[in-house]
Amino acid sequence: MAISSSSSSSSSLSLSLPFQFRFSLKTQTRRNFPCVTAVAAASGEVPLLQVNDLRAKIVESNLEILKGVNLTVNRGEVHAIMGKNGSGKSTFAKVLVGHPDYEVTGGSVVFKGENLLEMEPEERALEGLFMSFQSPVAIPGVSNDQFLAMAYNARRKKLGLPELGPLECFSYLMEKLQLVNMKVDFLNRNVNEGFSGGERKRNEILQLAVLGADLAILDEIDSGLDVDALRDVASAVNKILTPENSLLMITHYRRILDLLKPSHVHVMDNGKIARTGDLSMVDAIEADGYEPVSALL
Amino acid sequence: MSGIALIPAPCNLLTASSSSSSKFQKTITTKTRVSLNNAISISSDPFVLELAEALEDSVPTPQPLHNLREASSESLLSSSWPSRRDEPFRFTDLSFLRSSQILPAPIPAPTPTITPFSTSQFPCHVSIVDGHFVSSLSEISEFPDGVYVGSLSNLNSNLNSIVAERVLELVCGLENGDLFWSINGMGAPDLTVVYVPEGCRLQTPVHLGYFSSQGSKDGSNALYLSNPRVLVVVEKGGEVDIVEEFSNDEENENECYWTNAALEVVIGEGGKVRHSYIQTQSPLAAHIKWTSVRQESSSTYELTEVSTGGKLGRHNLHIKQLGPETVTELSTLHLSVGNQTQDLHSSLVFDHPRGYSRQLHKCIVTHSQGQAVFDGNVKVNRYAQQTDAGQLTRSLLLEPRATVNVKPNLQIIADDVKCSHGAAISDLEQSQLLYFQARGIDSETARRVLIFAFGGEVIDKFPYSSIRDKVRSQIKSLLDPSSK
Ligand SMILES: Nc1ncnc2c1ncn2[C@@H]1O[C@H](COP(=O)(O)OP(=O)(O)OP(=O)(O)O)[C@@H](O)[C@H]1O
Ligand SMILES: [Mg+2]
Repeated sequence: MAISSSSSSSSSLSLSLPFQFRFSLKTQTRRNFPCVTAVAAASGEVPLLQVNDLRAKIVESNLEILKGVNLTVNRGEVHAIMGKNGSGKSTFAKVLVGHPDYEVTGGSVVFKGENLLEMEPEERALEGLFMSFQSPVAIPGVSNDQFLAMAYNARRKKLGLPELGPLECFSYLMEKLQLVNMKVDFLNRNVNEGFSGGERKRNEILQLAVLGADLAILDEIDSGLDVDALRDVASAVNKILTPENSLLMITHYRRILDLLKPSHVHVMDNGKIARTGDLSMVDAIEADGYEPVSALL
Repeated sequence: MSGIALIPAPCNLLTASSSSSSKFQKTITTKTRVSLNNAISISSDPFVLELAEALEDSVPTPQPLHNLREASSESLLSSSWPSRRDEPFRFTDLSFLRSSQILPAPIPAPTPTITPFSTSQFPCHVSIVDGHFVSSLSEISEFPDGVYVGSLSNLNSNLNSIVAERVLELVCGLENGDLFWSINGMGAPDLTVVYVPEGCRLQTPVHLGYFSSQGSKDGSNALYLSNPRVLVVVEKGGEVDIVEEFSNDEENENECYWTNAALEVVIGEGGKVRHSYIQTQSPLAAHIKWTSVRQESSSTYELTEVSTGGKLGRHNLHIKQLGPETVTELSTLHLSVGNQTQDLHSSLVFDHPRGYSRQLHKCIVTHSQGQAVFDGNVKVNRYAQQTDAGQLTRSLLLEPRATVNVKPNLQIIADDVKCSHGAAISDLEQSQLLYFQARGIDSETARRVLIFAFGGEVIDKFPYSSIRDKVRSQIKSLLDPSSK
């Protein structure tokens, strides 16, 4: 496994505990993560995602990109991360899903009470973590419906539900296609192959709609979308959102923020969350750029 | 279109292999003509002499093939067994043939006990057992007048003399052949003929099912050799689909035998042949195959090949464009899932203006002792102006010691051509694997799907869905034996 956690405190959490035991774990969680305790005590619940002093480097070059990220996302919250190009936003998202290009060198990430960093990428996904890629890769030779059916059945299996046959699966996919306003022929095409920039983004949201998630991380889902597409995507995301699940979006633009209304806005700078505020902070950024906002730290 | 454009594809070198080698060779040479010395020098290689003798005694010379046999025997007797020092066999180990006792397969019973083909969904089906056309296992559908599908000996007795004459005139090309071509010419007990007259477009494909009924058990030194030989002639404007299937009789799934097959294809002006070739012989077998194609002007030849069988699989594919505006498309997939070698040596010669070719060769090696070899030569001679030739080879190495040796080479003498070639050797793309995992699909499954998709590009080119389905399920079970 390319991602390994150097934080020894987190390794005492067992992944294999059945669901019922998770709440009894709380005390242990508190002991290991003092920071969790404070927030959890306030809301009376373990946060959905708790990132503590997360550090990560690029495996190939040993270059450190994340330099101590702290972030807490509770159930039902909508967060946005903004920040200069190259500040580490996508790297943060990719480290969370377990991308093998990066190695975690410090800190901890607890997702739904479990140590996320010890899980394989597919376990993270099945646990309910979804990330839409900033540039989704094309997979020649694998059709979109085949891919979606495999992913959906893997999820059903995890939930203890029987796998769906091709026909049932198809009607389920049709329903979700409508949700994101996509044409049927996208199902027959190979995954992202020859898709326009906007089509790729829509396809990511289709996957989110099909699979569902406790936490959806959307990395620049709005970049390259025309006005109508942006509205489609935002309305699909709003339909998928419930008080139980949360959203973390990465963006450079105000328009999607107005549509999805984050309660927390973070500014990332040089591998750290430099500042956290609400939507009003976006006005300052749009007016004066990132420098003064980050400098306030 | 001017000048020479060489566009090498990105080459993601060797994540999976330390012992593999990838070599590019782009040669632009002047044409040289070597005049052959006419004197026959008898080979001093006792192994070859013994083999020639055994072949000589094996089957009575069929009269119409007398000349072929004579010429082949002459050339065989003057050859020696290829060694690793000979360029065409540099990466291909033939020692297991050499250390065996080669026995020409005896003539099969009139109704051999072979589990018949499951693919007899083709109305026209020819069974060739140990090199012999077996009419009791064949079904020749009603064809338009002038079409002939059957053995050469039956053709003669039918007094179909014009066709017979034409066939004899075409059989026997020794040009460019190697030792194995000569062995086939000498040992072929008969010739299976597919003849399509001028202007005739056959609607149904001709399915050729090849079997080896004689095999020896693993560990035995005896190796039965059969030499099936087929000639396809399509006259001016004619069209036919040929499906060649070399498979394994369920009875002798794990037996040793050596199939040394030869197919000659002659396509007249404006004619078209779509050729499907599927090789799934026993994992202990040797499969050496020649496909020699001569294309007249404006003709089309399309080959789709998937080879997965044999301990040693070698395909020699030689194509000559004999007139302008000729089209050649080759798509081949080789899979090595065990201790086996899959080898494609192809040669495509352009001699006339405005020729077109596309060649895609893919190999997958999933075993540490598995090997793939590709030598792809494209020669664009002086008068072949405005040739458009493309060649691409991609190899997937999935085990640390898996090996591939690829040598794409272009020889361009004409000066107004568009040629491209590329070679890439890689493991699976990490970013693609992660994409599956990020959607909850485990890496094992993701790998399997990606490997399968890699091969799918070639499989999709088979013109019949029944073949595509069959090959897909066969490859699936080779890649994932547990799913069987
Ligand atoms: N796999 C990688 N290999 C090399 N460099 C990388 C890799 N991943 C990230 N980087 C570098 O790390 C830095 C952060 O990149 P990242 O993609 O996280 O930025 P970002 O904040 O998402 O920027 P943008 O707003 O442009 O999307 C950049 O300088 C980038 O070049
Ligand atoms: Mg980014």
